[in-house]
Amino acid sequence: MIPVFLGVSILTFTISNAAGDPLAILRQGLKSVSPQVIASLRAYYHLDQPLYVRYFYWLWDILHLNLGVSASGTPVADKIGPWVFTTLELQIPALLLAVLIGIPLGVYSARHPYSKGDVAVTGFALFGYSMPTFWLGLMMIIIFSLYLGWLPSAGAAGITRLWWGSELGDRLAHLLMPLLVLTYVQLATFVRLIRGNMLQTLRDDYVLAARACGLSERTVVYKHALRNAITPIVTIVGLSFGSSLAGAPGLETTFSWPGLGYQFVVATYSLDIPMIVGITVVITVMLMVANLITDLVYGMIDPRIRLG
Amino acid sequence: MEGLLEIKGLKTYFFTEAGVVKAVDGIDFQVGKDESVGLVGESGSGKTVTGLSVFRIVPQPGKIISGSIIFEGEDLLTKSEEEMRRIRGRKISMTFQDPTTSLDPLYTVGDQLAEVIKEHQRELSKKEAMEKATKLIEMVGISEPRIRVNEYPHELSGGMKQRIAIARALASGPSLLFADEPTTNLDVTVQAQVLELIKDLREKQKMSLVMITHDMGIVAEMTQRVQVLYAGMVAEVGETHSLFKRPQHPYTEALLQAVPRIDKRKELRVIPGNIPNLINPPTGCRFHPRCPYAKEICKEKVPQLELTDKGHLSACHLWRDLSLSGA
Amino acid sequence: MENKGPENILNVDQERLEKRREANQWAVAWRRFKRNKAGLAGLFIVLFFVFIAITSPWLSPYPQRSYQTLYEGEAGQPPSLKHPFGTSRSGLDIYSEVLHGTLGDLYVGVGATIIAVLIGLAVGSIAGYSRGRLSDILLMISQIFYTIPLLPLILLAARIFLILVAQGFGLTLILILLGVFGWPTIAFIVRGEILRVRELEYIQASRALGAGRGRIILRHVIPNILTPIIVTATLMIAGNILTEVVISYLGFGDVNTSTWGLTIQEGYTYIRTEWWTTVFPGLATLFAVLGFNLLGDGLSDAINPRLRD
Repeated sequence: MIPVFLGVSILTFTISNAAGDPLAILRQGLKSVSPQVIASLRAYYHLDQPLYVRYFYWLWDILHLNLGVSASGTPVADKIGPWVFTTLELQIPALLLAVLIGIPLGVYSARHPYSKGDVAVTGFALFGYSMPTFWLGLMMIIIFSLYLGWLPSAGAAGITRLWWGSELGDRLAHLLMPLLVLTYVQLATFVRLIRGNMLQTLRDDYVLAARACGLSERTVVYKHALRNAITPIVTIVGLSFGSSLAGAPGLETTFSWPGLGYQFVVATYSLDIPMIVGITVVITVMLMVANLITDLVYGMIDPRIRLG
Repeated sequence: MEGLLEIKGLKTYFFTEAGVVKAVDGIDFQVGKDESVGLVGESGSGKTVTGLSVFRIVPQPGKIISGSIIFEGEDLLTKSEEEMRRIRGRKISMTFQDPTTSLDPLYTVGDQLAEVIKEHQRELSKKEAMEKATKLIEMVGISEPRIRVNEYPHELSGGMKQRIAIARALASGPSLLFADEPTTNLDVTVQAQVLELIKDLREKQKMSLVMITHDMGIVAEMTQRVQVLYAGMVAEVGETHSLFKRPQHPYTEALLQAVPRIDKRKELRVIPGNIPNLINPPTGCRFHPRCPYAKEICKEKVPQLELTDKGHLSACHLWRDLSLSGA
Repeated sequence: MENKGPENILNVDQERLEKRREANQWAVAWRRFKRNKAGLAGLFIVLFFVFIAITSPWLSPYPQRSYQTLYEGEAGQPPSLKHPFGTSRSGLDIYSEVLHGTLGDLYVGVGATIIAVLIGLAVGSIAGYSRGRLSDILLMISQIFYTIPLLPLILLAARIFLILVAQGFGLTLILILLGVFGWPTIAFIVRGEILRVRELEYIQASRALGAGRGRIILRHVIPNILTPIIVTATLMIAGNILTEVVISYLGFGDVNTSTWGLTIQEGYTYIRTEWWTTVFPGLATLFAVLGFNLLGDGLSDAINPRLRD
């Protein structure tokens, strides 16, 4: 895990500093600056040192939760905090909903393979993971915001008015479309996976043996087949969260949702290097935490993996 | 001997993309009360599918096409799913070949035993069911049952797992047990122990046993009567002792010749050829392509079971003319 | 009946059996694939898009990125007979853009996958065959590249490099980036297969009888690896196309070559008045990706079938 973090941070750091002299970019905002100020800035940011030395200075800062100062002047760490919550406000409910809806659908499909219901569910899922997430968002905006006017199309909260009467309602109204999009896209993956896994486990020996012992179909399917089918799903759920998070830029930009993804795009456009690096680091940390949780849950479900 | 199970004309086919696999194509089979019968054949002979058919848990794309399965006077094929569930595990039980895969790896051994106990004795509390489970573990000869009951299958050896599977099958005191190759996946040293256990429990519980196996040695040791299957049909039926001494079907002879013996000096003879294609089985007698005695009639006409001796039946056109050597 | 000694039974017959089985495997798999309607549909869709991509320069009424309709006074029109997918306010004929975009997106999707497969094969093979330190290091590197948040890093890299590199290179750059970040999946598969095949009993028997490493690789490892790679690569193409579309949509792609994402981006600004600019390129993406997914699933089912009812 730590090597991964280091690896990602090195990559990010190197790439972003490849843009050239960061100070030159910084300077674009400050029109006339005396050479002495430039020199002292250079020394302050260790820019006179070779790249790998600067990396260690930077790493040291990170570990002290100092993410540097953005090109706009304010410290990165101050700004990122609220953005993290904004992104999670979208990602976590979407993941939960996708799991809660996806698994029963997958089980249903596996128990009635090639039936009309199964074909419908499988087709539904197929479209879900074949379409660009942000495009689905666009389609929903066209239908629900522009044509029907039922839902707002930008931001996390209303500026000109409060939708749906209250502040809570307003936030819900803004949340609804991106949430549905994210849920659908992730749900598609889960349904497919559960269906596939359960088609396998339903043919496993212990399922046959359980049936031969007279256990009810419900017990056989849910207690045995499903639980065995789910263990690889746990990993996939973790991965799905990861890729959903990594894909946040697309969806958040479409809905002008002020989360990490959106801000990342903004920062990358303006080459605000401390911000870019800072957001990437935060996203990576979130991914690693997600991986950790995934491993823990996996251990809880599958006794063969537990240590000791 | 009173009849416990009587199968007549059972046909179970698998409807696959490649064609219809006639796994069981007209089998008669009887098991009496307190009787131990062997069901013998190579893989693909239909012995396992016959067992699964009795339980009516043949996996897709399999289907029981025709026949009757009379158990304790009633035809199982006419029963509802609910009624079948009350019979499975309670009146008729089964153990499977690979103990590693026939136990759910995610639950403790005690859990899986208690689960079956509770299914057939709803009135028991969880605690009582666990108690009974622990006693069962003890009954199958596993030491330290109180510790074992909370362990997971992967923490047990192959032999222990198979004992647990047996315990699970016997949990509700069935009158008929199907043991499908119970020792094939076990170490040789453990095999004898498990067979002893089965013999022992059978006597204690006054249970009938169907021993599904390809190993004639096990048949000799465990069964009173034996039925030989080939390619989904019956080749020979008879009392174990006389079948071994004087087999009346070339396939049985070949099976017996294939058993390695220390006491007799003879070559290890292999049955030539392959298991027949069950989608397009050979015409006439299905064994004829591999049979050293085959004649024209064997290719043309399907042999019917004929009485060769008391309680001894053979499905071979030539049984009168052949004097086959036994074990 | 002759007595078959143990020495005869082992290698010769086994190998012949294996060869027959392998040759038959392809024939059987192909037959199975033909029966899979979804897979066939996928194949058809993919071939259709490939055809479009190749013929797009001749098939489309307007050259790529051409704002000509502005001068023709037909900008900002909804779909009509002359402009089946409508025109954008800036003057693009959406139908042409979608056709040209096919070439662009397939180029990136397939190209990136090829690179990923090549790198993945190399790394995976080395990791699979070497033991100890080297294998561990390679595994760790694979893990790093696998866990990296893909989109942000690609966006960043695209942005940085686009400053440095001349403009026409845009798509190739994206292609290379996607390939460079996408190889771990293949590497894991390759390594896994090599490890598995190494342990197979008849391989060990083979080696005991003197078969060299090269022969084993050729005869056994490669056929076993090919199939999961083909399936994974097909699905990877789908994924790469999707990622490319997002990259272009966000404005990090090549401004001079038509891609579906780029067209959608133009549509975003005027989404209120011209829905067609966002809808049609998106539908094209949807169906192209769908095609590859169906094809990949079909191939996977043909090779590892799950029994039908």
